Amino acid sequence: MEQFIYYLKVSFKGIKRAPLPYALTIFILSVGLGVFFANATFYYQLNRDPLPHKSDKLFFPMLNLVPYECSTDCKTPSVLSYNNVEKLSQTDIPTQAAAMYSADGYLRQSTEQAPLPVSIRITQRDFFSLFDVPVLHGSIWPDNSARHEVILTKSSAEKLFGRTNVIGEKLLLDDRNVTVAAVLDTWQMLPRLYDANNQNHLSDTDDIYLPLETGYDMNYLSNTQSQTFDDTDYRQLSTQGRTGALHQLQYWVQLDTPAQQQRYWQFMANLVQDEKAAGRHPSAPNNQLVAMRNIVSYFGGESSDIKAFALVTLLFLLVCLFNASHLSLNRYLSNQYEFSLRRALGASRSQLQLQMLADVLLMAIFTIIGALITGFAGIKLMNQLLPANSLFSNWDLPLLLSLLVIAFVCSYLVTLYPSLRASFGTLNQQLKE
Amino acid sequence: MSFYMLCKVLFSRKVVTGLLLLQLAMTLALLLNSILLAQQTHQQLSQPTGLDLDNILLVQLKPTTASLRVYPALEDLLNRQLDAVQAIPGVIAAAYSNQSPIAQGGNNGNIFVVEQQERTNVPSVPMYFVSKDFFKVLGSQVLQGELPQHSVSLDAPGTPDVVLTQSLAQKLFGSASAPGQQVSRGRVAAVISDFYGQRSGSHVMYNNMQVAPPYGVDWGYSILLRSQPQHTTAVRQQLDSALRNVEPNIEIYNIRTLAEQHQRLYRNEYGLATLLALLSGLMLLVTMVSSYSSTHFHALKRQQEIGIKRALGASKKIIFIELLTENWLCTALGSVLGVFLALLLNHALAQVISIPALSGYLPLVAITVLLLCVTVATWYPATIATRVSPATATKAL
Amino acid sequence: MITLTNLSKIFRTELIETHALREVNLQVEEGEFAALTGPSGSGKSTLLNILGTLESFDSGDYLLDGKSINGLSDSALSKLRNEKIGFIFQGFNLIKDYSIFDNIELPLRYRGLKPAERKQRIEHALELVGLHARRHYFPSQLSGGQQQRVAIARAIAGKPRILLADEPTGNLDSLMARQVMELLEQINQQGCTILMVTHDPDQARRAGRNIQIIDGQLHDSTLYEPLSAQSA
Ligand SMILES: Nc1ncnc2c1ncn2[C@@H]1O[C@H](COP(=O)(O)OP(=O)(O)OP(=O)(O)O)[C@@H](O)[C@H]1O
Ligand SMILES: [Mg+2]
Repeated sequence: MEQFIYYLKVSFKGIKRAPLPYALTIFILSVGLGVFFANATFYYQLNRDPLPHKSDKLFFPMLNLVPYECSTDCKTPSVLSYNNVEKLSQTDIPTQAAAMYSADGYLRQSTEQAPLPVSIRITQRDFFSLFDVPVLHGSIWPDNSARHEVILTKSSAEKLFGRTNVIGEKLLLDDRNVTVAAVLDTWQMLPRLYDANNQNHLSDTDDIYLPLETGYDMNYLSNTQSQTFDDTDYRQLSTQGRTGALHQLQYWVQLDTPAQQQRYWQFMANLVQDEKAAGRHPSAPNNQLVAMRNIVSYFGGESSDIKAFALVTLLFLLVCLFNASHLSLNRYLSNQYEFSLRRALGASRSQLQLQMLADVLLMAIFTIIGALITGFAGIKLMNQLLPANSLFSNWDLPLLLSLLVIAFVCSYLVTLYPSLRASFGTLNQQLKE
Repeated sequence: MSFYMLCKVLFSRKVVTGLLLLQLAMTLALLLNSILLAQQTHQQLSQPTGLDLDNILLVQLKPTTASLRVYPALEDLLNRQLDAVQAIPGVIAAAYSNQSPIAQGGNNGNIFVVEQQERTNVPSVPMYFVSKDFFKVLGSQVLQGELPQHSVSLDAPGTPDVVLTQSLAQKLFGSASAPGQQVSRGRVAAVISDFYGQRSGSHVMYNNMQVAPPYGVDWGYSILLRSQPQHTTAVRQQLDSALRNVEPNIEIYNIRTLAEQHQRLYRNEYGLATLLALLSGLMLLVTMVSSYSSTHFHALKRQQEIGIKRALGASKKIIFIELLTENWLCTALGSVLGVFLALLLNHALAQVISIPALSGYLPLVAITVLLLCVTVATWYPATIATRVSPATATKAL
Repeated sequence: MITLTNLSKIFRTELIETHALREVNLQVEEGEFAALTGPSGSGKSTLLNILGTLESFDSGDYLLDGKSINGLSDSALSKLRNEKIGFIFQGFNLIKDYSIFDNIELPLRYRGLKPAERKQRIEHALELVGLHARRHYFPSQLSGGQQQRVAIARAIAGKPRILLADEPTGNLDSLMARQVMELLEQINQQGCTILMVTHDPDQARRAGRNIQIIDGQLHDSTLYEPLSAQSA
């Protein structure tokens, strides 16, 4: 230990002898790593799997059950109609299933209060178990039938009532009476893969939850995507919306085993076949069963700017690494005489390597501090410039740890080559120089 | 001083020179692509919109009580709000619309000439349901036919007449006259000058308007108004209270000029271009540091050599130029490499974002910038290096 | 050809002032071979450096070919140095990563001579020092005596009128030293003025003139008989 402290002291002396190149090396490494960190954070958070144990078991079935005969663009609609979902639900193959969409509404306790704008997820009972949503108080709706019961998130309960245990409390949702059936615990599914159309997976979770049937009864229209393929009047959601070709639903089924998936796939094929035979849906079949794991790329919602930037920041990091090693090579070369002298005085190679390690350690510490500061600033800046991704700017432990490792490796690389050169070059030649 | 000698010096320091070259090349590649992206964003932002962006204000809002969102209460609310807005001094015209122009997407659908759907179908054409002053607010010119003078309810029998933008009319009818013809959404009444509708539509200038109160306002609606240029700021400040005086149960999402709306629409591109520009700046800085340090160390290591050269009759100027030329040569070599790298990067970027291809004079501009930075960075250490005293440097150890 | 009048040089550091040269007066004629002797630190190298315009001086005057060098710009001094003066250093001072040929070529390049002329002069100089066969070697591949001969070749390739040599044999054994001396004498006979610092009394004696410096002051410059006359 005493020996290592001595090595650290020597390192410090080396820095003091040429502080400017050392500072520049640290600066360049910090900037390169910081910029890389900032983008890596977004890249990692955007591409992470929020349900790793399940994301290959949850599927979004899509069908060409539409009243038109497509001629050119036969893409399956990315949302389903109420009618589609009804037909898809007529099987017990999936372990669980839930249809859903979201709408905007206003919530208050009484008409005297100012309304609170809320985003409503209109869905079915299984939603909460499909996506592992924790319940804090109360219980989820027992079935999928219409009921004027809402489920609040913890934060909306706190906003409305100032407390969380509000089961049975009455509320006005767009001036209609509802009661609180349950309050959810803090929950954030990032990215929100169940809602990946139009890059909605980047948004925050919704504020309240309402049964699907009630949503249709109350005539809530989707606030993200709704398409009509016939003359359904979208103001008559509770009647025409349930039968016509008004598409606005996402539908998720859980299929645990390959056999289950195979059976469901067959079920979909039969369904479309029957519908076509009955003359209701003239389009060619084009069934899709997309796993949650692949849903973002299926909808083409990958954040291309982050990807582009990832490429560029990687290049930048490389440049900075080159530059820093260049700088530190120069630094070593100017210290070479001393290095050789040490060897001439009998320092063994392994002792010199330990000395190098001390150098690396010191550099890594400075670099990590610098990189974290730059990275933090970079993230703040990117949030300003690309606000769509702002939910994905958090550092978690595995991310932070891997960043630290990268920083250490970079410091090592930057010190490695020059010091190897300095310690393994022929003694004679160096002393002569 | 000769090229041959310089090359010899450069290549005698293989590793250092290699690192420097690679770095210069990467910097150039990045610089070039950032410039490209910035150029593209600038082009997108300056592409004509057909609108007087600075003097048209846009309010997006929604009634917070369900009873105000159904007719006839809704129409009454819309008209009262328009009256109130029009009464603000400096307002030339005001109109409501189910959605605003200059948007990413919104309410749209396909449109075609009746009985010629196969041939004339145009998908994703925005449909605007507007009050009659909408055209006056936008400053549209009537090119064919006459604008509808009265608002007709969409629920009344028969559909309200349709107004098309010029590009859309041309797409549907070619050079034939449009007014009087039947399209899927109704009879064409007029054709007006183009304006920017929805970015995700078939074409940003394809738009279709009907003078009618919107179907519903579940997604909110817009109030657009044109003000006299000198009053725009004042009008903007009064809008919020004017609208709340009419009806307090509303949520106002935002009040913006169309110029701001336009900028928000391209915010992502703008953000990416800014980030890349910043990164290029950082890269230039890093390159400058490296030019600086390489000259500095190089000169330090070669003090004796410089001293000898001075003793043999090289003036300070020659030494200085020699050092500069060394870096210029390096930059030039790096630049050649860099242009290749830039092409590669451009290709890779084109896979994930839309970026124009590399062309023409841009590499020259980028190389000039790079050379300039390298020169600035080399200047100081090179000047220092020339101050080596030949007498001291040539002293035997 | 060289005239120094009341020339003084003071080195100032933070701590002390060193009077390296005090009121030196010196006259050197064309074609002379002068040896500079004196104890260590007496100012020999300083004098040589001033003569070679590598160093400035504090007072007095230095006339080269009747023209004062006072107030000449850096580039004018460089030109003068390049054209009229050749240097031979104790430490050889060859550039390590230049070949022998390139080393000798350097001053000719600064003078802006044409490639053909450069080549001819280099070859001539190399032949004179007997190293023609090794012109593509690098300094590290030569012995000390050979390196010094390269340095001499570099100094004379430009046909300077004055050759300034600071202990040219200081790092060499006596055999090598003699070879170098003979070379210098040969060059002197071709009309080149030589000023040489040396510690070796034999060498000093072989020179036509002996200038002694003690503590920055020029002592009587003793004139010896020309070498040839002495041996006769
Ligand atoms: N650059 C300098 N800065 C300060 N003092 C100097 C410098 N160069 C020489 N001196 C001092 O000037 C004096 C003369 O030095 P000079 O090198 O001329 O001696 P010298 O006669 O050549 O000695 P030697 O025979 O040992 O080479 C010495 O006292 C020396 O310390
Ligand atoms: Mg001396």
